[in-house]
Amino acid sequence: MANVTNKYPGESRWKGWWYLLPTLLVYLLFTFLPILETIRTSFYQWDGFSQNKVWIGLSNYAELFSDPKFHNALRNNLVFVIFYSIIPILIGLFLASLLSRRPIPGFAFFRTALFLPQVISMVVVGVIWRWMFNPTFGPINSVLRLVGLKQLAISWLGDFTWALPSVGSIGTWVQYGFCMVLFLAGMQHIQDESYEAASLDGAGAFKQFIHITVPGLRAEIAVALVTTIIAALRVFDLVYTTTRGGPGESTMVTGFLIYRAAFTTNRIGYAAAIATVLTLVILIISMLIRHFQQRGNEENT
Amino acid sequence: MKKRSIFMSVILALMILLSACAKPASPTDQPPADNGEQVLLVWDQFYRDEESKVIETLNAEFETAHPGVKIQREVKVLEDLKATVKLALTKADGPDVAQVNQGRNDMGALVEAGLLLPLNSYLDKYSWGTVFSTSVASRNSFTEDGKTFGSGNLYGVSPTAEVVGVFYNKDIFKKNNWDVPTTFEDFETLLADIKAAEITPISFGSLDGWNAIHEYSAIQHLLVSLDYINNLTYGVNNVSFDTPENRQAAQILQDWTNAGYFSEGFPGIGYDDSNNLFKAGNGAMTITGSWLAPELMVDTDQEFGFFLLPPYEGKTGLAIGGVGIPFAIRKTSEKQDLAAEYLNWMISPRAAELWAEAGMLPAMALPEDSKVDTKNLFGDILNAWNTINQGNAVGHYIDWATPTFYDTLVAELQKLLGGISTPANLAEAVEVDYGAYLQSKSE
Repeated sequence: MANVTNKYPGESRWKGWWYLLPTLLVYLLFTFLPILETIRTSFYQWDGFSQNKVWIGLSNYAELFSDPKFHNALRNNLVFVIFYSIIPILIGLFLASLLSRRPIPGFAFFRTALFLPQVISMVVVGVIWRWMFNPTFGPINSVLRLVGLKQLAISWLGDFTWALPSVGSIGTWVQYGFCMVLFLAGMQHIQDESYEAASLDGAGAFKQFIHITVPGLRAEIAVALVTTIIAALRVFDLVYTTTRGGPGESTMVTGFLIYRAAFTTNRIGYAAAIATVLTLVILIISMLIRHFQQRGNEENT
Repeated sequence: MKKRSIFMSVILALMILLSACAKPASPTDQPPADNGEQVLLVWDQFYRDEESKVIETLNAEFETAHPGVKIQREVKVLEDLKATVKLALTKADGPDVAQVNQGRNDMGALVEAGLLLPLNSYLDKYSWGTVFSTSVASRNSFTEDGKTFGSGNLYGVSPTAEVVGVFYNKDIFKKNNWDVPTTFEDFETLLADIKAAEITPISFGSLDGWNAIHEYSAIQHLLVSLDYINNLTYGVNNVSFDTPENRQAAQILQDWTNAGYFSEGFPGIGYDDSNNLFKAGNGAMTITGSWLAPELMVDTDQEFGFFLLPPYEGKTGLAIGGVGIPFAIRKTSEKQDLAAEYLNWMISPRAAELWAEAGMLPAMALPEDSKVDTKNLFGDILNAWNTINQGNAVGHYIDWATPTFYDTLVAELQKLLGGISTPANLAEAVEVDYGAYLQSKSE
């Protein structure tokens, strides 16, 4: 007891580290070490199981940056950002402002129902939407034919133009509920007085939305951006269960390239190089968003 | 004292954590040596109900015939097996026997890493030469360095066989007075007739990709020679993919697409969905492998038959075919002789009979006193298999040709089927892959 009371308040207590230790160990063992190991592996040519592991320096990276398949996959990932991030955030903002301004009967029901896609496993989502998009017996084309839009009833997931937007829109369906709930929570700390004052000054609903709601949600929008962009960049399961990167290479994403390199062509080193680059891209984007958000906060205060 | 107790509890927590990570003791880990019980660890991918029952029966009978031997079976889905078996075979407690997919990325890579046992001595011991032909044996063979497919040592034995051909709906054929075609010309006339009758001629879906290779290559097999397809698949004698025959096959496929012979919206339909539609009576025919037969023989009111894609004007008429995923033995296994005994049982006449009963084509000849019904779809398939074997017309899955051939073929075929590339584009793009592989192989 004695040596604890001797200390000044605020002085670091080394004892606290003991409480951290179990989690820290787990983190080091299962997160940090695998990341280091992945980076190390990316400098080797290795099939993943044999003794034949050759150091090849940066060759994997050199090959990667000149690989048109990687460029194409990265481009598709950026398109996924639009569908996974930008559109869900816009829909989320719209729905949140609809649901929050005045009490709506059945509010809890809407909130739950709209959030539901977020809690379904991605593999199940993929299977459901593959059925929805089926050109022969899928509900989407059945409805289109029913209302006389037969020429619009195309083969969504197999069409070179429409496959990417189709898979992307599944992402939108999954993500917007998350954005909406996040924004609903954020809106609760925006003062009602701000809106009242704005109404008195003659600002309409749209102006209030732009000048009060959106700035008030700055922190939540940043969180939504970071999580949804990460989801868009590392997408794999959805592509795997719907199109497997096809038709051609039109829905190929970097996550699927990693899987293919590692498990079908036995190129663990190359897969590790793609994974390392992808991690770096995600890290940089996340840091940029945080940077802009913090600068915005400083300007506000 | 307080400090000490915190310290102790942290230590205690760590101990619990670490002990939770430790492998629990299990009675099967170390077979007791005193009573002579031996445990044979076997990994297979026969997970579907009918298949699994065959393996269960064979395993039980093997245990009865070998007192003191226990088979510990682990069943996996093929993709799962492929992803895990390589690492497992490097371990001292890995499977003694495992199914290993043919092709360069699987069996080839494992042979190169020195993880599989060459079976040549057992080939002599059990006279497997009378069970399967040298053509079948070469499909499970690699040179010792794992570089050349189709020659060298034998590394696996396959219990089942496969042939790609045409399944047809007998009821639809009967109702419209259509006959099984005997020439390729007849077949194309038939396609036009079926289309004119407003029925889908060929039920097909290319969303999953891989079966598009079979659609294309089945036509290709009618145009090329056996030597060519052997050279192409085994990567020997420097053949090219960009040949008039391969272009022509792509042209035929594209013509069929343009004529509307495939299911409407086929690029957006998956393999299983297209088969379910066919089974439900949508579509007169479908082109796929014999593995579909067991499914078409149960839970349906339609009757189905099978024929080989008929030969093209004066050519042999090869068919894609071969043997199923083989059983191989881990090189470091201490029970190699027992494992070989197990392999021999897996390709015994008894095994052939059980597979046939389940509607699966066995790689071995049926016993002479076989009681299996052959007046049905299974009989058609057995006939087709015998025909191509006797005519020396068993082709290959061409996606084994290079490590990246599967991905390249799927992407290029989807482009062709989607109308955004031409037969020439396809042949050239695939040749880039093939040429680069031959180049890297010779270096």
